[in-house]
Amino acid sequence: MRSLLLAALAAYLIAAIHSILAFVNKRRSLQRVAEWSTAAGFILHTAALAADWVIDGHYPLFSLREALSFLGWALVALYSLVLYRYRTQAVGAFTMPLVSALTLLVLLIGTNSSNAPAAFSATWLFPIHTTLLIFAYAAFFIVFMASVMYLLQERELKLKTFGATFHRLPSLTTVNEIATSSAALGLTLLTLGIATGVIWSSSRFGRFWRNDPKEIFALLTWGLYFYLTIYRLTAHWRGRSAAWLGVVGFALVLLTFVGARFLGSYHVFG
Amino acid sequence: MSILLVGVNHKTAPVEVRERLAFNDEACASGLRQLVDGEIVREGLIVSTCNRVEILGATSNDQLEFSAGRIAQFLDTSGSLPAGFLNAHLYSHTNEEAVRHLFRVASSLDSMVVGEPQVLGQVRHAYALGVEAGTVGRVLNRLVHHTFRVAKRVRNETGIAANAVSISYMAVELGKKIFSSLKGCSVMLIGAGEMAELSARHLVNAGAAHVTIANRTEETARQIAAEFGAATVPLDQLDQVLHEADVIICSTGAPDYVVTEARTRKALERRRNRPTCFIDISVPRNIDPAVSNIPNCFLFDIDDLESVITSNIREREREAERAELIVQSEVMQFQQKLRLMDIGPSIGALRQNMHDVARAELARQRKRLGPLTKDQEEAIESLLMSTVNKISHPLISQMRRLYESGESDAADIQKDLED
Repeated sequence: MRSLLLAALAAYLIAAIHSILAFVNKRRSLQRVAEWSTAAGFILHTAALAADWVIDGHYPLFSLREALSFLGWALVALYSLVLYRYRTQAVGAFTMPLVSALTLLVLLIGTNSSNAPAAFSATWLFPIHTTLLIFAYAAFFIVFMASVMYLLQERELKLKTFGATFHRLPSLTTVNEIATSSAALGLTLLTLGIATGVIWSSSRFGRFWRNDPKEIFALLTWGLYFYLTIYRLTAHWRGRSAAWLGVVGFALVLLTFVGARFLGSYHVFG
Repeated sequence: MSILLVGVNHKTAPVEVRERLAFNDEACASGLRQLVDGEIVREGLIVSTCNRVEILGATSNDQLEFSAGRIAQFLDTSGSLPAGFLNAHLYSHTNEEAVRHLFRVASSLDSMVVGEPQVLGQVRHAYALGVEAGTVGRVLNRLVHHTFRVAKRVRNETGIAANAVSISYMAVELGKKIFSSLKGCSVMLIGAGEMAELSARHLVNAGAAHVTIANRTEETARQIAAEFGAATVPLDQLDQVLHEADVIICSTGAPDYVVTEARTRKALERRRNRPTCFIDISVPRNIDPAVSNIPNCFLFDIDDLESVITSNIREREREAERAELIVQSEVMQFQQKLRLMDIGPSIGALRQNMHDVARAELARQRKRLGPLTKDQEEAIESLLMSTVNKISHPLISQMRRLYESGESDAADIQKDLED
C-alpha cells in the first residue's frame, strides 16, 4: 500500500530529524517527538506490510522492494527494543535516517519486479527462512552501529579530546553490551535462518547445499559472528577488537545481502 | 505594584565590599523589619550569599524611585559605609529587569560558575527568612514561587548543570563515560590527599560500592577509611589488590611512578581486561603515562581533567544560551500574571457581568424583533457588545489608574463590584 508507506516515511523522516536534533542538542522534548513519530511510523509501516500481504496474496518478503521494506521495519523493531532496554537515544540518530532512506528507496522502486511464484508462498518454511534472516541483518546493523560508537567513544577517552561526541555518545559499557547482545541475537537468528533454508532447499530441490554465492557468504558471515560471540564470551572484555570485528562483519553482511546477487546467486532476496 | 532589585554581586563588587554587606540570618530578619515599612518599601527580602547581596522589594508605582534610594541607603548604613560609597558597585533593576535578574540568579545563570546548584537553595533560604520576618507579601510571594518554577524548568530542560566543572567530580564524570553506572564499582585511592578523598566521596554518592585506600602512612589511611567504611592496604601490597579496582585515583607525594606499566598489565590480566579508569591528580605524576597504551586502560592526569572541565564549561555556556530563552519567556509570562493578578479578575468579572446583562436584555426583547437572518443576529450581538465595551472602557481605565497609583487595591475594586 503506497499511501500507507508514504505516511510511514513521513513519520520516519520526522523521527530521523528529531533524533538527530535530540542527539546534537540533547533535548528531551525533541527525543519525545522522535519516539512518538517512530511509533507512529512503525504502526503505519506494519499496516502497509499487512495490506501488501492481503492484496498481493503472498507473504510480503520476496522481491528486492519487499526485502528492503521488511528490513526497514525490522530495524525499527530492534531499535525500539534497544531504546527500551538501554535508553540510549544516540542509536536513533543513526538508525532512523537509514530506515527513512530504505523506505524512500522502497517507494522509488514502486512495484515488485518479480512476483513470487506460488511455490514460495505455498510452504510456510520459506517465509520463516526469509523473516529470520532479515531480522538477523537488522541485528547485525545494530552491532555495527554500537561498534562504531564504541570505537568513537574509546578514541575520545584515549586521546582525551573530549569533543562534542564525548558528551553525546553513551558509555563504553553500554555500547559494548548492546553490541554483545545484538551479536548473540543476530547469530541465533542467522543460525535458524540458515537451518530453515537448508531444510526448505532439501525438501524442495533434494539438495541442501548448492554452492551458491549467497550460501557461501552466509556461511562466512555465520563463522565471523560465531567467532565474535565466542571471542566476547571467552576473552572477556575485548572491547576494541570486538568492535572492529563488528564493523568488518557488517561489510560481510552487506555482501551477503546485496553483493551475492551480482555474483549470480539463485537467491532473490532475503 | 512595582518590583525592584538593588544589590551587588561578584561582578560589580570585590569581596572586600561584599563581605561588609553580607547579612547573616539574624541581621537579615532585623534588617528586613527595619527596611520594610509598608509605605515606601511594601515588601522585601534579602538574598545574601558569598557572591551577592541583593535586596528584592515591592512598592507602589509612584514610590519606585524613592524606594530604590531607600534600599541603597539601607545597604550603606547596614554595611557601615560612607553614604554614596556603594554607588560605583550597586546595580538597581526595576520591574521587568528586576524579575529577569532574579530568574537568572536562581537559575544559576548569573553565578561565577554557571549552573552551580547552591544558589537556588540560597534563594529559597532568603525567601524563608522573609516569610518569617513577615516582609513577604502578595507580590513577592508570587514572584518567588514563579522563580522556583523557572529554576526548575531551566534545570530540567537544559543541560546547564549536566557536566562537572570541578576536579573532584571529574572521577564520576569520566567513570560514567566508561561504566554506564557507577553502582557497584570499586574505587581505590592510592595516597590519601584531600582531593582524592573528595573524589571518592563523590563516587560513593554516585553509587560506588567498595573503597580501598592504599597509603604510605597507615594511620591516615585508617582515619579516612573509617569515614567510608573502606578497607586499607599497605602500599607495598598494592599488587594484590590493584586488579579489584574499577576506578583508581592516585595522589601520593612520591617523586616517581607508583603505578607502572608492568604492574598495570598484570592487574589487567587478572581482571580479565575489564576497563579501568586511572585518575592521576598528583604532581609529579604517579602513574606511568605508558599505562594509557594498554587496551581498556583509560588514564587521565591533572591536565586532562582541566581540559575536560574547559570542554564542560563550553557545553554549559551553550546550554546557558538556551536557558536565557526560557528566562525571557518566563519573564513575559510573569509580567502578564502580575498584571492579571493586579486587577485582571475584577475587570474580567465586571465585563462579564455587563455582557450578561446586555444578553439578558436582548433575550427579553428578542421576540419582538421577529425572524432574523444569521447575519442580522450577529450584527445585533456585536452592536450590543461593542456598545457595552465602549461605555465601560473609561470606567475600567479609571479603575486601572486608581489601582496603579496605589489609591485602590484589587481587593477594593472587587468589593466595589460586589456592592
